[in-house]
Amino acid sequence: MNARTSRRALATTAAAAAAVLALSACSAGSSSGGSDTPSDAIVIGLTGEPVNLDFTTTSGAAIPQVVMNNVYEGLVTIDQEGELQPQLAESWEVSEDGTVYDFALHDEVTFSDGEDFTAADAVFSIERVQSDAWLNGTKSKMDVVASAEAVSDTELRVTLSRPSNAWLFDMGTYVGAMFSETGVDDLATTPIGTGPYTVESFVSGDRITLAGRDDYWGEEPDITDVTLRYFADAVASTNALRSGDIDMVYNMQAPDLMGQFESDDAFQVIEGTSNGEILLSMNNRVAPFDDVRVRQAVMYAIDRQAVIDAAWAGYGTEIGAMVPPTDPYYEDLTDMYPYDPEKARELLAEAGAEDLSITFDVPTRPYATAVSEIVVSQLAEVGIDASIQSSEFPAVWLDKVFTQADYQMSVILAVEARDVLATFNNPDYYIGYDNSKIADQVIAADSGTPEEYVSGMQEVVRTISEDAASDVLFLFPNLVVADADLDGIAANAVTESLILSGLTWSD
Amino acid sequence: MARRLLSSLGQFLATLLVATALIFVMLRVMPGDPAVVALGINATPEALAQWRAEYGTDQSLALQYLQWMGGLVRGDFGTSYVTSQDLSPLIVDRVQVTLILVGLSMLLALLVAVPLGMLAAIRHQHPSGVVLSGISQVGVAVPNFLVGVLLVAVFAVHLGWFPSGGWVAPADDPVEFARRLVLPVIALGSVQAAIITRYVRSAVLEIMREDFLRTARAKGLTKGAALVRHGLRNAGVPVVTIVGVQLAAMLIGSVVIERVFVIPGLGSLLVDSVGNRDLLAVQAIVAVLVLLVILINFLVDLAYTVLDPRLRKAA
Amino acid sequence: MTTHLDAPDATGVPVPPPTTTARRKRARPGIQLIIGASLIGLVAIVALVSLVWTPYDPETTVAADRLQFPSAAHWFGTDRFGRDVLSAVMAGSQITLLVGFIAVGIAVVVGVPLGILAGMRQGRLGDLIMRGNDILLAFPGLLLAIVFGAVFGAGTVTAMVALGIGSIPAFARVARSGTLQVMKTDYVFAARAANRSEFRIALRHVLPNISGMIVVQCSVNFGIAVLAEAGLSFLGLGTMPPTPSWGRMLQESQQFLGSYDYLAIAPGLAIAVAVLGFNLLGDGLRDRFDPKMRSNR
Repeated sequence: MNARTSRRALATTAAAAAAVLALSACSAGSSSGGSDTPSDAIVIGLTGEPVNLDFTTTSGAAIPQVVMNNVYEGLVTIDQEGELQPQLAESWEVSEDGTVYDFALHDEVTFSDGEDFTAADAVFSIERVQSDAWLNGTKSKMDVVASAEAVSDTELRVTLSRPSNAWLFDMGTYVGAMFSETGVDDLATTPIGTGPYTVESFVSGDRITLAGRDDYWGEEPDITDVTLRYFADAVASTNALRSGDIDMVYNMQAPDLMGQFESDDAFQVIEGTSNGEILLSMNNRVAPFDDVRVRQAVMYAIDRQAVIDAAWAGYGTEIGAMVPPTDPYYEDLTDMYPYDPEKARELLAEAGAEDLSITFDVPTRPYATAVSEIVVSQLAEVGIDASIQSSEFPAVWLDKVFTQADYQMSVILAVEARDVLATFNNPDYYIGYDNSKIADQVIAADSGTPEEYVSGMQEVVRTISEDAASDVLFLFPNLVVADADLDGIAANAVTESLILSGLTWSD
Repeated sequence: MARRLLSSLGQFLATLLVATALIFVMLRVMPGDPAVVALGINATPEALAQWRAEYGTDQSLALQYLQWMGGLVRGDFGTSYVTSQDLSPLIVDRVQVTLILVGLSMLLALLVAVPLGMLAAIRHQHPSGVVLSGISQVGVAVPNFLVGVLLVAVFAVHLGWFPSGGWVAPADDPVEFARRLVLPVIALGSVQAAIITRYVRSAVLEIMREDFLRTARAKGLTKGAALVRHGLRNAGVPVVTIVGVQLAAMLIGSVVIERVFVIPGLGSLLVDSVGNRDLLAVQAIVAVLVLLVILINFLVDLAYTVLDPRLRKAA
Repeated sequence: MTTHLDAPDATGVPVPPPTTTARRKRARPGIQLIIGASLIGLVAIVALVSLVWTPYDPETTVAADRLQFPSAAHWFGTDRFGRDVLSAVMAGSQITLLVGFIAVGIAVVVGVPLGILAGMRQGRLGDLIMRGNDILLAFPGLLLAIVFGAVFGAGTVTAMVALGIGSIPAFARVARSGTLQVMKTDYVFAARAANRSEFRIALRHVLPNISGMIVVQCSVNFGIAVLAEAGLSFLGLGTMPPTPSWGRMLQESQQFLGSYDYLAIAPGLAIAVAVLGFNLLGDGLRDRFDPKMRSNR
């Protein structure tokens, strides 16, 4: 044991440490931070990453959030006020009886793979929704289409089996996305559309980058280098915003932090509207929620304003039914089930369901875990013992609750536009609401005049509420916090889509 | 020496083989047919059959295992059923991130712990040594994610000295890379430093009672000098052991720090893949983690031979 | 936790020998033992009290009372759901102790017999057991907990079992090395000469003689389990709400750092107290049970 050997031992250790580091060569990892933000670039923080980019086979709003209006476009689109606007269709005419739509399509529109967009692609896209290739449940929105034909390259004729007030609006959502006949081989990773952006890279668990197309048919966006970074944790995203790593947190999931940003001039805080309802879903097909009295008891047991205050720092609006105030057939139904635990207990006793024990599948999303804690506490007050079971979102929740309907109670943010019918007018949907009372009414309303549509739909929604099919806790706000210099933020989440093309830096 | 090395190597390989088989079997228990997970519940039987044939999940388990192992040996982890992405580049990327994070944290821990541990041992009867020892004892008890959360709150959000997280590849921007690593490395390394300090202290205390040190001191060397000249190597065995154990634990343990600092490491990928029920990804990540742990244990074994003359002679 | 999952003796690393000072003072219970036992006693008493009484129901939310700073009514304040933090911290000790007990229990029940067997049957069986142990060693408890979460669903039970299995190797190693020492002693030779059955020798001679080391290991692993459970809950893979858990409280407190710091301080302190208690207890017990001292006798 002398100094020389001990020094050698030390050197050995150092060499081993160096080897560990050398193993991780300099290229290690790909960068995920560091936005110096040149004027044509932006980094946006989001929570809830898509599993892949194929909404035709995979459910979940995270996919259309990225690709709709950015990568894919529709014949029509929905603007920030919730109004229908032309997109790939320049104009359209509807026949007297409301069943034949003649669209005039924009000329010289190309897909990102270089192919021209023609009426044939539109026919292909519409028929694809009706085919087996399209697995997403929203495909039923295309059921009303009897045929689609390409009259010429720029003329498309769609014939409906009956008049529909809803169909054209739905065509502004992802059901109406226009695909290229030759571009649907790898939708999961390489979406090809006519929109202003293409997906440049998709780093699982981290980010998606979009690049502006220089051959876009419309007005090219100012910001051509878009990075969407996904955070597992809402607080981490706001920390990243504050330390300058990202420029905007869209659909911010840590509402208690809003106050801190409001008082800081470097940031702008926007409370946008959304179509997202926080839905406390009850499985109408299984006990105990196959009994309308038990469902009604839940409605009375929950103090919705308290849920908003405690779970979401007071951001959010009570709406009473699955219809946001921006929809034409909105009606204030918030008084139908006031907070009344006494009444809830009576109903439970009547149904012979005292000391009820249920499981409550909660998706791993900040709003869901927050809401669930207070809901469980309020249910306990009336004698319902709900035990929380965590379902990883999206994979597990979509599989177990949404697809297999293997659940009793769950909670989810339903973000799709005008989704009241998709949710309740389908007995096979995971809610399992018996739609026999409303099915005919729905068709009558949809086929009727606009006035009949409004009054008919209001009646349908009232029926659903009377049956307490599920509890709409509140309308979810689209909270956006961004760098104060960012303009053109589409803060109203009227569809799932996060519209990027309007963004611009003010200096 | 060579024989010992060979037998270590043999054990290393055998362990690896059994461990991968275990992982493979363990994950077959995971509920859900991967074909259904990939294609959705509405998929037609033909589509499912075609998918199974394409990904080979219709073959016998043994064959699937062999194919998987064959891929592993070639560094091919396959294609994720869920994201349709090639797993190999993803995992290689993440492994590097985790290795850098863990390696640097351990380096920091050793740089702090070795001198402090020795100091605490030399001064074990002085108040300063007792205080050091007490601090390390408390440090061991603090969850590192709490350290991380507090560091972010103070140094990133409040003071703005460092970024709150994220990752920049060293090749892209070395300065930014370093800046981003400061807080996570402190969070992960400081608790390790506390643990290792305790081990260094006891190891050194033990050695200080040994005869050769007394002789050295009798020859007029100071306590510290005697220790540095003669004791370090002997204290090495327990310290190398604990460093190995901690390194192995940090590989997966760093997942919490990765979460707090939004670092795209292997642990975060595992948690995400579990959430997505991405069977192949989970399988590959667990295999890589286990391989690394076994590798570390193997290296620790080798280090004994180098450090401990008695072990060397025995071989 | 990460680190700690791991921490010192998770894998049965030879524990640091007692310090010279500690040896000198061995006759009296060490200061570490006293402090450690007191801290654990505190946690245990709080857990017991919380079974029958907490200032408020730790699971009842009161929207009107949300985010109140510590006051006479709420000593540790209230959280974002208006729940009393003191009550939640008190009730959280139950989960902490439960996870520790079960995890350590599994590890002891499986690991110790295996270790003794490996120590008594040195040969092919002993080798086989220790090889298996080495393989298990490659699966840290946290890794098992994450993977088990996918297979069986995340929750307290999954976490306890995974952490328990993950600590088996530590106990097997300790038990084996202790057994090897005991097997060399004269009374075991005598017992063997008297044709006592192996089982009897294990029960009468080996187990009592290694029990001290096992207890030390229990204490250390208990601390590790507490940190691991907190870490898992922090990741959302541990105890499910609304059952109070210190790790989840910490996780939830993140968005209130800088405005309502007490939300992080209370559970953070609770974890530190419990882990410190078990570590000190382990160190203190080690000084008393050190096998070298015993063999010197």
